[in-house]
Amino acid sequence: MHADKEINVLGKACPMPLIALAKEVRAMQQGQTVRITGNDPIFEESIVEFCREGCHEIVETTREGKTVSIVIKKTG
Amino acid sequence: METKKVTILLESGDLDKALCAFIFANGYASLGIDVTMWFMLWGYNCLKKRRRLFSFRRAIDPAKESAYRVLETDNMLQPLIEMLNRGGAQHLPLSRLNLMGLGPALFNVMLKKKGIMGLQELIRSADELGVKFKMCQICFDAMGISVDDLIVPNVEVKGVAEYARDTMEAHINLFI
Repeated sequence: MHADKEINVLGKACPMPLIALAKEVRAMQQGQTVRITGNDPIFEESIVEFCREGCHEIVETTREGKTVSIVIKKTG
Repeated sequence: METKKVTILLESGDLDKALCAFIFANGYASLGIDVTMWFMLWGYNCLKKRRRLFSFRRAIDPAKESAYRVLETDNMLQPLIEMLNRGGAQHLPLSRLNLMGLGPALFNVMLKKKGIMGLQELIRSADELGVKFKMCQICFDAMGISVDDLIVPNVEVKGVAEYARDTMEAHINLFI
C-alpha cells in the first residue's frame, strides 16, 4: 500500500524508532499516512503503544522475517 | 483530554544514569506527554560545553548573570570547581566499570554497534521534541555556572517552589 511518507529505522534500537516516528507524525496533517520499517525486537510493540497513546490508526502491518513494516494514519 | 505530565530530576553526573534519564524523557515526549527535566548538582555535567583544563571562565556578564546568581559572594572556589568538574556529554564517567576512563569509551563503542542513540544525540532530540529544561538556581550560583555554558538553549533557572509545583502537577516524577 502507498503511504504519504516513509521512515526507515532498520538497525536502530529503542527509542530511535519512536522518536523518528513522533517527529514525522507531528509534521503531518490529519488523515495522512506514514510507513515505518524497522527490525528492532521490540519495534512493533513500541509502535503499537505509540498509536494507542496518540489515538492513531494502524492501517497495515507486514512482516518479512525480522523486518516489520507498519503503515500509520494520523487521526489523533 | 487533560495533558499528561512527567518530571525527571537528574542529579547524577554519570553517563549511564544520564542516558537513562534522557531515554525516558525522549520516550515520554514521543508519546506526546509533557516532559520537564530538572537538573541539580552533577546533573548539569551532561549539558555543559567542554572547556580546556586551564581555561578559566569567560568574563562574567553581571547584567545577565545577576538575574540568577549572587556575584558578590563569588570567590576562588567557583573557578576551581569549574576546572575540576568540566563535564561534557562525551566525557562523563560510568558509575560502575569506569576503568579510569576506558569504560565510557568501550560503552560508547557498544552503543554505536547496537544502534542505540548516544547521549548527545538524545539531548538534541529531547530538545527538538520540546522537553523543558529547568535548572536549580542555588547549584548555578554555588558552582558558578552560566546559561551560556550549556549546549541546550531556552533553559530556565528556578527554585524549589517551582519544582514542588511541577512535581505535584505531574503524574510521575523520576529522581535519577
